Amino acid sequence: MLPELAVALPAAGSISAALLRARPQAAFSAAAILGLAGVAVVVLARPGATSDQLGISLSLSSESCALLIVAAAALALVVALSPLLVERSILLTWGLAGLAGMAAIAAATSLEMIVLIVIALSVMQAASVGGRSFATRLRGPVLAAALLALAAASARSDGPPILSHLAAVGLVAGLCAALGTLPYIHEFEPDERTATSPIPWMAFIGPVLALAVLMRARELVPSEGAAFGAMMIGLGLLNMLWGSVASWRTEGGAAAWHYSFMADWGLALCGLGMAIADGQRAALLLLYGILLSRLPLYLWSRQSLREKRPNDRPINLLAAAMLAGAAPFAGFAARVLLLRGATQLYWPLALVIGLGLLLWLPPSLRLGRSLGLPRGRQAWGVGIALGANAVIGLYPQPFLALAGL
Amino acid sequence: MKPGRGLVGAGTWGAVLALFVLWLPVRSTQELTLGPLGFGAAFDLRLDAVAFAFALVILIPSAVLLTLQPRSWQEGTVAAVGVGASMLAVEAGGILLTALAGGTAATLAVIQLDIEDIRAPRPPWGVLLAAWLALSWAGAILQVAGGTAVYAAVPVSALTVPVFLLLAAAALMASGLFPWRGWAAQLWSRPSLSAAGMAVATLYPLGFYLLVRAYEMGDGRYPQPLLGVALAWLGVLVAFGAAVRAQSATTRREYLGEVIPGCGGFALIAIAVGTPVGLAAGLVMLATVAVLTACLPLLPDRAGPGTLLTIAAAVGLPPGLAFGARVVGLAATFEAGDFLGLIGIAGAAAWVVAMVAAARAIGLPAGRGHPASETFPRVAMVLAALILVAGPALPVVMSAFANPAQSEITPAVPGSLGSSLIAVVTVQTNLPALTLFAPLVLLGAIMYGIAGGFGVRGHSRPPLFTMPGALALGRLRDAARSATLPEQYQSIINPRALEKAAAGGRPFFWIAILVALAYAVNR
Amino acid sequence: MTEVAAFAAWLGAAVIVLSDGRRGLALGLAVTTLAFAVLVWLGGEQLAAVALLLAGGVACFKRLRTGPDVWGVMPSGSTARLVLSIGGGLLSLWIATSVMTGPGAPVRFAALSVLALMTARVLGQAERAAVLTALVALALSVAMSAGIADTSPGPAPYIAAALLAVGISVLRVAETNAA
Repeated sequence: MLPELAVALPAAGSISAALLRARPQAAFSAAAILGLAGVAVVVLARPGATSDQLGISLSLSSESCALLIVAAAALALVVALSPLLVERSILLTWGLAGLAGMAAIAAATSLEMIVLIVIALSVMQAASVGGRSFATRLRGPVLAAALLALAAASARSDGPPILSHLAAVGLVAGLCAALGTLPYIHEFEPDERTATSPIPWMAFIGPVLALAVLMRARELVPSEGAAFGAMMIGLGLLNMLWGSVASWRTEGGAAAWHYSFMADWGLALCGLGMAIADGQRAALLLLYGILLSRLPLYLWSRQSLREKRPNDRPINLLAAAMLAGAAPFAGFAARVLLLRGATQLYWPLALVIGLGLLLWLPPSLRLGRSLGLPRGRQAWGVGIALGANAVIGLYPQPFLALAGL
Repeated sequence: MKPGRGLVGAGTWGAVLALFVLWLPVRSTQELTLGPLGFGAAFDLRLDAVAFAFALVILIPSAVLLTLQPRSWQEGTVAAVGVGASMLAVEAGGILLTALAGGTAATLAVIQLDIEDIRAPRPPWGVLLAAWLALSWAGAILQVAGGTAVYAAVPVSALTVPVFLLLAAAALMASGLFPWRGWAAQLWSRPSLSAAGMAVATLYPLGFYLLVRAYEMGDGRYPQPLLGVALAWLGVLVAFGAAVRAQSATTRREYLGEVIPGCGGFALIAIAVGTPVGLAAGLVMLATVAVLTACLPLLPDRAGPGTLLTIAAAVGLPPGLAFGARVVGLAATFEAGDFLGLIGIAGAAAWVVAMVAAARAIGLPAGRGHPASETFPRVAMVLAALILVAGPALPVVMSAFANPAQSEITPAVPGSLGSSLIAVVTVQTNLPALTLFAPLVLLGAIMYGIAGGFGVRGHSRPPLFTMPGALALGRLRDAARSATLPEQYQSIINPRALEKAAAGGRPFFWIAILVALAYAVNR
Repeated sequence: MTEVAAFAAWLGAAVIVLSDGRRGLALGLAVTTLAFAVLVWLGGEQLAAVALLLAGGVACFKRLRTGPDVWGVMPSGSTARLVLSIGGGLLSLWIATSVMTGPGAPVRFAALSVLALMTARVLGQAERAAVLTALVALALSVAMSAGIADTSPGPAPYIAAALLAVGISVLRVAETNAA
């Protein structure tokens, strides 16, 4: 029953928050209680244990559980320490809806179910008020759904070996389309509110979705590991380069953040494509960083970006160091693991990755400045994000063990 | 003294005390292992003679500066944590933990400098980041190729030339050991020197530490003798570059900025030569660098006996410790044989230029002053005098400080470096330091007593020479920085158009990408 | 029978691609849903077939109440869409029968053709009514693609797709700042 509850409780929380909109305190309380209950269920869930109470097999893996817990922690951080102008119940509504979707994706045991959940989430997101048109917001996720479904169909059909090759292509392309990374970038409007922008796909739902798709991919096309890995690494390098350079050179601050997520995903894709333990660990640490640090900092930078108030204080430099993957933050540990994994596979790859990593610093300095001068709750939030990231960077072992790595 | 300053000062001196308490009774390697950290390294600490030596080099100037100089509580906190990170780097049992700790120390140093004054020069953060990433990669390669990156356990065969080059590159970038004006020199032009001193104290020795540990991993030598020669020549260039810039300095502050890089160049020569004598001499030079790192930020910019003593101590005037160490270090190049003696000759030439620069510096104008509240002229003078009068104690310093570290990492070669309280005994020479230098110290003291002080009445002299092509090099660098793609070629590479196509959701573009991927996979 | 149903599925998807009005869209959706239901029923999943029918019915009903009140089938300028429908169908047919082998070609053809055409409809910057209709058909075709496997996936994917289709149909899309 636990996987079912892991989906149902956050969903109920989101629905309660939406229904009780007129009474923000009640909405917040109900959503918070249900959301916490959902997280507790995830913590208590036995990784790998299958449940089919609803006539459908659901199972949470340890990696997915770990990411769900971290995502919940990020949501709690953002909601608890949001700027006063932002209504917390709205944040919680969207956040819990996303969390429920993530839990459903993590628990799904077939790729088609994952695709259906992606379609559901994309429609819900596109249906709300936002800057881009309804059809524009649907483009990326729908393409992802189609590619993944086609890939699954190809993998399951009998036929020549090219079918399994095409399945691998479809899976990788579908994943990139869902995340919004190159070459399937989602259109980004800097002034659009975060909940309806491409950012949730990259920074909130994306990590769990990526792991779920990869897990299913291994089952569907077990013989295509090499091709799969090569494509992931190739696209990863492309995103690393594009994301970091674009983040540095682009004019808009919000766009710079968007590209920085892309760059981080580039590294994560490289790690996931390596298919060895070090690569997986590196990818997981990067995903932790995206959830717990980059996403909250992006949200807290929005106000400063709108008011055009960059700042150069120690807190901004620390944030820049964290975003650049400098020691002692989690990004550094991830980079060490990534270099080690790449060296095991093919040392020139490590050289390329190493050179690419040097491109992180200029955009990170820019992003750090864009935080402005955090005050009050925001300052606490930035401090907590930095602290958590440093703890993970200095001692990642328990966080990796949480994910079974 | 504010309580904050007292706390960090007490903490750092406490660390010094703890170091002595841990090391002196045992004087052999002590280890502490606390299990894996999760990124390929274990929390494995090791206190051996090398770690002890480098720990002192880091802690002593840090303790002095943290105790004396006023700083805000934020700077103090960051500085203290930076010292801790630097200590962890030298006490780490393996490369990866050193990389993590060294990277942390670098990050904290940059932040500390920016807290103090964000517009003043600081080390290029990208270079420091690259250095510790390079070291991480070297560690990762050693783990993959040799099974471990623990200093004491790395198989000699795993330390190949490419790995060593990576490690050496990391070391050189970490300490800014380049022939051109590096961060260690630029920091001294900052309006305030409280953060600059701490940055040099915590970061500068780390590069040398890596080069010394490389000997341990290679069982007493680098993978190829040519590598040591190349590094030694680089040391010559570093020392010579510093000397040339020093002799053309327009202010005394500018000259003093080249002191640490100059001494570092000589230390690099000695360490890179690869003989036990050279290594020991290099470690002593690093000890003098440590004392100078404490001295220079406390020195006021006005002319005075403190300035004179500091310049004399730094340039290696006899009978100072710097003089003795340099003599032994350069002698080591001759003792190494073959053409390595040429390095010694080049080093000696650089030393001569440095002497000229020092003589000229006495008469230079002070330059931009730093706040008087952070200067302690008497303490600076005492530290400089300490270097000068410690010259006769060179054999003691080598026996107690350098030789244990040297013997820890290089195999015992009979008669290579003798221990004595009076003389430094090497393969071919015997330098009776106590006998030779002590009378000089006494003579100096007597002359000071007769003269009643040093009246500095120098006047500014022109530089000895200017480097040909320096201006052209500067123009080339500026041209490279401002280079852009000519307008007629900009349309060929149009990343915006490409991205618009990618984000625009044009089905044809997306289908084309799919086809390209499918083709690549099926090839 | 299965071949006819598969052809009908493609035909329904083609009508959705070629229609801009609520009546044409509802017709296309009805034909597609019916075809899918027949294929699933013949595959042995009666419960799933009923779920698809019900969902399709609800979706068609909702479609008939919103959107331009015309048929709007093959308006001017829809030549490209016509070519897409025919070309997509032929390509899906070739893949389903020649590239992919084994029994179940009609199911494969139906799933692939509807999947491809509905994706193209959504990506093609259509009006909201058309996009929502295409999404419903897309969700149903995803469930159909799960049935391509040798072993039956059970009723779960079809029921999930049916629920999603109903959800999409009753969803109220907010007005945005952009067109």
